[in-house]
Amino acid sequence: MLLSYLKIAWKVLLRRKFFTFISLFGISFTLMVLLVVYAMYDHTMGPHTPEKRVDRLLFITKLELWSDHSQSNSGASYSFLDRYVRPLRTPEKVSIATDGGSLVAYVGNQKLKLDTKSTDGEFWQVLDFDFLAGRPYTVREVREGAYVAVINESTSRRYFGTTQGVIGRFLEADALRFRVVGIVRDVPASRMLTTADLWKPITVSTVDLRDPSYLGPCMAILLARDAADIPTIQQEFRQVVSRVPVPDPKAYTEVRVYAEPILGNLLTRELFRTTGPDNGTGRFMALAFGLSLLFMLLPALNLVNLNVSRMLERSSEIGVRKAFGATSGVLVGQFLVENIFLTLLGGVLGLGLAAGVLHLLNGSGLIPYAHFTLSGRVFGAALGVAVFFGMLSGVYPAYKMSKLQAVQALKGGTN
Amino acid sequence: MLRHLFTLIWNRKRANFLLITEIFLAFVILFVVGSTLVYSQQNYRTPLGFDYEQVWQVDLDPGMQPRAQRAATQRQVIQRLKSLPGVRFVARSSSNTPFSGNSNRSDLRRTKESGGAYVNGNFYYVEDAMRDVLAPHLIEGRWFDKRDDASTRQPVIITQETREKLFPGESPLGKIIPNGDQEMQVVGVAGTYRASGDLSEPRAAAFLRVSPQDTSFEHLETLLVRVQPGAGAALEKRMTTEILAIGKGWSSNITPLAEQRAAQLKLIVTPLVALVVVCVFLIINVALGLFGVLWQTINQRRTEIGLRRALGASARAISAQIVGEILVVSTFGLALGLLVAAQFPLLGVLGVKTSVYLTAMLLATALIYTLTAVCALYPSWLAAGIHPAVALREE
Repeated sequence: MLLSYLKIAWKVLLRRKFFTFISLFGISFTLMVLLVVYAMYDHTMGPHTPEKRVDRLLFITKLELWSDHSQSNSGASYSFLDRYVRPLRTPEKVSIATDGGSLVAYVGNQKLKLDTKSTDGEFWQVLDFDFLAGRPYTVREVREGAYVAVINESTSRRYFGTTQGVIGRFLEADALRFRVVGIVRDVPASRMLTTADLWKPITVSTVDLRDPSYLGPCMAILLARDAADIPTIQQEFRQVVSRVPVPDPKAYTEVRVYAEPILGNLLTRELFRTTGPDNGTGRFMALAFGLSLLFMLLPALNLVNLNVSRMLERSSEIGVRKAFGATSGVLVGQFLVENIFLTLLGGVLGLGLAAGVLHLLNGSGLIPYAHFTLSGRVFGAALGVAVFFGMLSGVYPAYKMSKLQAVQALKGGTN
Repeated sequence: MLRHLFTLIWNRKRANFLLITEIFLAFVILFVVGSTLVYSQQNYRTPLGFDYEQVWQVDLDPGMQPRAQRAATQRQVIQRLKSLPGVRFVARSSSNTPFSGNSNRSDLRRTKESGGAYVNGNFYYVEDAMRDVLAPHLIEGRWFDKRDDASTRQPVIITQETREKLFPGESPLGKIIPNGDQEMQVVGVAGTYRASGDLSEPRAAAFLRVSPQDTSFEHLETLLVRVQPGAGAALEKRMTTEILAIGKGWSSNITPLAEQRAAQLKLIVTPLVALVVVCVFLIINVALGLFGVLWQTINQRRTEIGLRRALGASARAISAQIVGEILVVSTFGLALGLLVAAQFPLLGVLGVKTSVYLTAMLLATALIYTLTAVCALYPSWLAAGIHPAVALREE
């Protein structure tokens, strides 16, 4: 039965090619835009290098001294994180690094600005980088303040002209000489919390590790033993924070600092700029869902319009089927299947278009080191969106068609 | 004729409901995107109010150097930089430099008592040399100079947007305005100063003088340097070397303002381009759909059209009816859309000038009418070509 529905749908598609083109154009472009947006989201938030175990990671990037009248916020200081986050019992590992920074190197007279992250040794155990050569620097090298560095592939090419045999050579930046111990594959700039051109021990940075103030330039990354442990860790951290003495109690009443998963941390804190306990993940999801629904509404309406106006073509078919006892429900089912078939076809085209657009985006250098791809998750999303879109645009025409009076339909009228 | 068309559409409002909704939505999208573009374009055409070519920003990070020594080291750095060939002027600045995205906003008040005129403005802390570095455009009065060393009040230069709010219809020169517990005296009026970037709205601002005796370092970590035309990487490298030689453990970062501007523009323009592309696609989609629907309806209305032709209507009259009908449908959709769009200037939620919204409304309306008319042309031509004898015999 399904097969015969699909056959009919195929024949209808071939009958009026111009209309098929209009429908497919709308569907495929709509899905393409949604897929590109989703692929970018997945690329930024999903489990990719170096945050491959993203479901087990928590980030602490912002600290706020808060009272009703006065707020002061920035990253956390190294000493704060070292004293209150490192000793937590529930995480498997804790890493502390700087938010970011930069160094300037010169190749001849050519300036090379290197985005830099200063980290501890645990950084390399919490995250999973793809090493092309060499190794990460160790906890011991960090403790001893060794001038060593891990660089990315592009930096190696730009500075040394090659990625071969670079290990052990020296890179001079800001009048400091770093021995290169490892080369990693480029990390896209969209992985804002971990990307850099050069990673170096935090003990050889300009960060004052003993500065007792709470605000500072650092962040912490927590690795849970299991994804299910995340709430436990957050719970423990909340308790620790509630016992932290408030500096300058005259000006501030509260220290606000939260450990959050990548989405809650990165997107919502930056997008909504909230600092309260609610990180706004729910609001973001609602907003994203609402916007994509709104975006689909116009193309869906367009498709509905087209389908309704083409009802007449099918009226004799509907009349015959009704006369032979098909119920409205069966007819609604048939037209929905036909419409979903059409949107799935559009979905396949949309996937192709999305692949092309992502390829263009990768080549454009819009986001440094970005490499957008269509992953399995994107395919899944495409399927889901196509079916949803098919339902959205198919229900009303199907309902209207099924309501045709058999006599009228056989006669060829619509009203 | 027109009334007749309106009655026709009104009577079939249920059948036309979907079309009207579609046109309504298309209008709203065009209006929103149009407003954004008109707003950006108007801002882009306003002068920046300073000269950023050949100006480099030097960010200094003193690392772990004790606080007390930082200002002295910075002074040495400035002296050294000034002596380099290729460097023309050097001035300290607060971190809200052009195109940096940083801002430092406070309320500027006419009088100390609350309730008087006030405006929220960007505060720029600058040295005397900033006149030569960024060359802000001065309208009245004078720029800061040595005479201000003796003054007991903080000298301030306000921009024309600030003057319009605080001193409408009077000269602000010499006037005293409060700044927290202290007082400031206006010594000059500058033109529009849009350090926030090319697409930012002209907003109130004030320049506050940093005297050469000021030895604080924390708010003045940034240097702006005007270099000779043609200065490039060699000078940049030299500057970095000199800075690092003087400040042990310091780090510095030099960025030409032109580069910073390009980076900022890219960040703002990219989403705009994406918005326009998506909008164009939606509109094409609507146009194609509309065309399809109209074409289809002509086929369904052959007998009606045949009858009109048989009763003596010219081909022209038939075309006019088809185009007229769709324009009337558009009018219904537009009326709904304008109702929604009018809420923006009426409620004034986003603080954008009404003229921006009006221009966008006008553009969107014109575009929708053009679009629907163009979509109706071919179907109307088809309709006009219907032969009455053929059409009537089909029935």
